[in-house]
Amino acid sequence: MRNLLHEIWESVRRNKLRTCLTGFAVSWGIFMLIVLLGTGNGLMNSFDQNGSSFASNTASVSGGYTSKPYDGLKAGRRIRLNDGDLDITSGELFAGIIDDVVATVGTRVTVSYRDKSFSGYMDGEYPAIMKMEKIELKEGRFINERDIRERRKVVVLPESTATNLLEKGKAASSLVGEYIKAGGLAFRVVGITRADHGRNDNFFYAPFSTVKTVFGKGEELGSISFTFHGLDDLEANEAFEKQYKAAVNLHHRAAPDDNRALWVFNRYTSDLQMKKGRRILDVALWIIGLFTLLGGIVGVSNIMLITVKERTHEIGIRKALGATPGSITMLMIAESVSITAIFGYIGMVLGMVACSLLDKTVGQQATVIIDMEFRMLVNPGVGVSTALEATAVLIIAGTLAGLIPARKAARVRPIEALRAE
Amino acid sequence: MLIELKGINKTYDNGQPLHVLKGIDLSIGAGEFVSIMGASGSGKSTLLNILGILDNYDTGEYYIDGHLIKGLSEKRAAAYRNSMIGFIFQSFNLIGFKTAVENVELPLFYQGVGRRRRRELAMQYLDKLGLAGWASHYPNEMSGGQKQRVAIARALITSPKIILADEPTGALDSSTSEEVMQLLGNLNREEGVTIIVVTHESGVANCTDKIIHIKDGVIGEIEDNSAHRASVFGAGSIMK
Repeated sequence: MRNLLHEIWESVRRNKLRTCLTGFAVSWGIFMLIVLLGTGNGLMNSFDQNGSSFASNTASVSGGYTSKPYDGLKAGRRIRLNDGDLDITSGELFAGIIDDVVATVGTRVTVSYRDKSFSGYMDGEYPAIMKMEKIELKEGRFINERDIRERRKVVVLPESTATNLLEKGKAASSLVGEYIKAGGLAFRVVGITRADHGRNDNFFYAPFSTVKTVFGKGEELGSISFTFHGLDDLEANEAFEKQYKAAVNLHHRAAPDDNRALWVFNRYTSDLQMKKGRRILDVALWIIGLFTLLGGIVGVSNIMLITVKERTHEIGIRKALGATPGSITMLMIAESVSITAIFGYIGMVLGMVACSLLDKTVGQQATVIIDMEFRMLVNPGVGVSTALEATAVLIIAGTLAGLIPARKAARVRPIEALRAE
Repeated sequence: MLIELKGINKTYDNGQPLHVLKGIDLSIGAGEFVSIMGASGSGKSTLLNILGILDNYDTGEYYIDGHLIKGLSEKRAAAYRNSMIGFIFQSFNLIGFKTAVENVELPLFYQGVGRRRRRELAMQYLDKLGLAGWASHYPNEMSGGQKQRVAIARALITSPKIILADEPTGALDSSTSEEVMQLLGNLNREEGVTIIVVTHESGVANCTDKIIHIKDGVIGEIEDNSAHRASVFGAGSIMK
């Protein structure tokens, strides 16, 4: 073993160019593979994070405009949801599918605190909306059942709305317990939530019952949100939506197949589409990764081929001095494995360093697109096991590819090998 | 007899068959110093390659010390070459990325001799050939004569029964050639090594005790040259 290592070391030391070329091919292949997979993982993590702000089995419904005449009424009529729709939603018709139902009613109000004021949007909500939309509380509490029952005049402000009411540099949490004016009435701030970049920064939450009675909304509703279960694929969801729309449409004397009378935003189906996109990205990454690896393997085999060719004369000398074919093959392979392993390791480490650099630079930058915060890369990088596996595959495949010419060279009659230059 | 050849035939087939050796019968005894002489294309190198088990032959029989050398596996052939034969080539065939001493050690490496013992023996042989000071030099740092002496040390290190030299002076000037031939002669006389030299130079052949002339693939005259007076040009010096 020590003899073999010494042989390898001598040969590597005296053939620096050949060693460096092989090493570069290997390092580069692994480096590219890891950076590529790492970036892909980062993209995918960002997909997951940007899409995770809603519970996936919720849908919200709001009124639209009819697109066709029906029951003697012309097209283009505005549909406003009302308490009757709430009854349909939570009624027997969909009892097997729909679980929790909450309604929202909103009103435009002028909000002011001390000398600051703006035109805002007050959302009358039920406590359950918190779970459905994954609202994150930062300070205080959210709307509770007692607020609803007693029609309390309390509000919960998203952080971004709160800062609009405060002087620069003041923390949003300082508003908790304070009274703000909304629509001419005083409301106590009971909580602050994390900013929702999906919406404008001038809305805030209040109890459903308060908004409905104080602002005289009557039976009118802004939107209905509900959770559901048992709809596992796209077809089931579409069938359910069709059935649901038909029921609500009829209640408003709109055609049952009128698609535009009612807007249904189903998080589940949009999640499904997201998942599909993620899967495609995943497969694409794997294919590109495999081809990169294949490129590396071809590079290594190619250099092995050249190395063996270049060393044919040396092989002839060794054979004349009594080297067996087995010892020749062993020497070639051992040398190739050592070089590939060492340089593969270097490439792997560099690739991981590059991934962490990406994380520290691009990974920390967020782009805001239409009030939505996107991070291009989230935690780019690959697991150590994946990196080691890829390196091992490259070493093994490169070696197997080199084995063929090495064995062939080892079997040539020594006189032929000696003639080679 | 150490070496026995009976009816050796060898045909190369590179598109067109070329009958190189046409029934060679030859015996060489232990301790002989023999040269095989012939013009280029006469088949002398092919004969040497067969003697050295570097190449195979088509028909006939070849015995070394009573062992039939025919249809051997590469592994067996390697073992025979390693233990019984030492090679000296025209172009030295030293491994460029190994130092003189490492080159000399190599046959022992394939015998499985330990590192320290290998180094010790190799140094001994280099010293014997007056190259102790050049042990850690690479072949490209040495003169032709020095390289050939390294090659001779390498051929001797396993104490083989036979030394095969293929045009050993072909790449050397006349004085160095003479030196090398004297060295081989001394080895033969003092240590009783059987030496077979292939050459086309009559001066080189004249240094040996027996000259086997080969022409068009058959053995011609076998000349006794113990008096070393064979060549018109040969006596006294090697002409280049």
